[in-house]
Amino acid sequence: MQEQLGLKNKNFEFTGKGWEYFRIWIVNLLLTIVTLGIYSAWAKVRRLQYFYRNTRLDGGSFEYHGTPMAILKGRLIAFGLLIGYNAAFEFDPMIGLAVGGLLALVMPWMLMRSLCFKLYNSSYRGLRFGFAGSSRGAYRAFLLYPLLAGLTLYLLAPLAHQRIKQYQFDNSRFGNTAFRFGASPRGFYILYLSALAVMVGSVLLAIALAMMLGSGASGPAGFAAGFMLAGPFLMLIMLVAMLVVTSLFSAYMQNLVWGNTELGPHRFFSQVSARRLLWVRVSNFIGIALTLGLFTPFAAVRMARLQLESMGLAISGDLSGFVADQQQQATAAGQEAAEMFDVDISF
Amino acid sequence: MSTSPSDLPVQVAAAYYDGQTTAGKPVQLSIADGALLLRNGAQELRWPLAEVHVSERLGDTPRLLTYAGGGHCEVNDQAGLDKLLAQSGGGRDWLDVLHHSLPWAFAAVVLVVVVFFVSYKYLLPWGAEELAMRVPGSMLQKMGDSTLEALDKYMLKPSKLDEARQQALRDAYARLKTPLDPQLDYSIVFRSSPMGANAFALPNGTIVMLDGLVELAADDNEILAVLAHERGHVERRHAMRMVLQSSAVGLLLAWYVGDVSSLLATAPAIIMQAKYSRDMEREADVYAEQTMNANGLSPCLLGTILDKMETAHLAKMKEKHPEADAAKDDSAMDYLSSHPATAERMRLMCPGQ
Repeated sequence: MQEQLGLKNKNFEFTGKGWEYFRIWIVNLLLTIVTLGIYSAWAKVRRLQYFYRNTRLDGGSFEYHGTPMAILKGRLIAFGLLIGYNAAFEFDPMIGLAVGGLLALVMPWMLMRSLCFKLYNSSYRGLRFGFAGSSRGAYRAFLLYPLLAGLTLYLLAPLAHQRIKQYQFDNSRFGNTAFRFGASPRGFYILYLSALAVMVGSVLLAIALAMMLGSGASGPAGFAAGFMLAGPFLMLIMLVAMLVVTSLFSAYMQNLVWGNTELGPHRFFSQVSARRLLWVRVSNFIGIALTLGLFTPFAAVRMARLQLESMGLAISGDLSGFVADQQQQATAAGQEAAEMFDVDISF
Repeated sequence: MSTSPSDLPVQVAAAYYDGQTTAGKPVQLSIADGALLLRNGAQELRWPLAEVHVSERLGDTPRLLTYAGGGHCEVNDQAGLDKLLAQSGGGRDWLDVLHHSLPWAFAAVVLVVVVFFVSYKYLLPWGAEELAMRVPGSMLQKMGDSTLEALDKYMLKPSKLDEARQQALRDAYARLKTPLDPQLDYSIVFRSSPMGANAFALPNGTIVMLDGLVELAADDNEILAVLAHERGHVERRHAMRMVLQSSAVGLLLAWYVGDVSSLLATAPAIIMQAKYSRDMEREADVYAEQTMNANGLSPCLLGTILDKMETAHLAKMKEKHPEADAAKDDSAMDYLSSHPATAERMRLMCPGQ
């Protein structure tokens, strides 16, 4: 990014180290297993604290304040819902569908509460983040738009995605300063269509290869034989295509979303390289497969480093001017959020 | 104040934030009279130590000293902070030590592997069995009924066997002496299907017998052997246990590596679940063997009919895919298969042959 007048670009720094995190991770894993999952809430706090505190911007580090008990409560509720949902389906599919519908109805509200929880429990330089989204907005973003996307055979999926991001970012606060999300649906459409084009292209390539291999025989039989012969090879092509497309997609998505986000007078920038993301993902995959999972903490550190160090803030002046949200402190809305549950749901 | 260097009060550099704005101030921390002193030039803040929360150590990450009355200090100098806190008599707790030692990390790896292995091999099957045995018969009844309903709708056709033949087999099955299982109502239903020679048990005790199997059997005792095997599945609650065990394995693997790749989570799950399935087949074989012996029938009959079923299936496969080498050694694929190799099962049940 070009340095502009009065702006200085500061990249996020990530100082986590694989071996260091490995020790924390393996102890967390062991304690989680021997406590039948109960400890996972404490493990999550430690994990997030490790990643937050290792993330620095302009000399200050981030901090995570979530309490294990709040997380445990949230996990028990989520676990109960999951079991209930599956049990209902096992018992009678109609009851299962009804329970599923009910879950879909409370999901937007739960997502909103979990955003509150996550942001209120994050801080930087002693100031808390916050989330001011309304339930109405949550139902529009998490239920209405996804439903519309489904009804239009996913023609509106990129728009729905944009609305979800808009809801998340536009309602986020740092102290009393609001985030502003400026990415238009257009960027989302371009990204989705490009991903679709690459995917269709690789399917066509796979079919062409199968036809070439099966050209000895004629007609559909030859075609089928070609597919049989090329089976493992085609699977490999599709796997590689999936990896490439998802890496491109998530790199450009991060760049699109963060590159169009502002915080007060400061502007974020993000330049994740899809090539490097692909490399980190493939090598992580191989590492984890070869070590039966023991590489996982190293993989997590590598991924966090790539994603964080590729982005930063174009700072106008300095970062000392943020002020705490007095209203949040006075109404104890934040306190309530801190006690509400945390649900891990990703899009 | 004394002048020897070791008596100099420990000072640690930190950044102070008041919690109201992001404007930080560099301060020097020291401890005196049960209080933490924050000094910036001539300015000084005094925090009673009892009201200061020190965040736990996590690798080399900065540590926070948070004051209950508002504000915190961010410290990057780990060694300095340790020295400072040692003055107030704070030690490291066991979790802190555990999280930061490489030998303990390797010990944890070994323990995790042991716990995984023991859970997979013993704890999970045991827990699933205890739980499955307590599932009320009414629920099993419902599960079996809805499964049969779905099978009838999509996969099975009515049997072409005449009623007298069906009744004869039902009577023979009813005469078979078996352990009592008052929870369930054991019965046979007859169906036909392109699957060919096969039989399977539903959780409610109903055994679905396909015409192909009845035609394949040389005498009714061979059919009884299959029925005894299937009844073993029901009495040992294999369907319920399989649901519990495989969902536990699936959940655990998804949690362990799922966020990296769903492929990495599903492939091992399939292999791990296949072992459970083979164990259950062996258990049903043992049950069948005992039942056959108790009724004065030869347990070898199960082996005979299994062998015939396998031959019939291979012939069918060959018919469909003449190019495939159907007769290939199945021991190589043992670990992926849901059933133990037939040769091995025969050897176990009928060592004489």
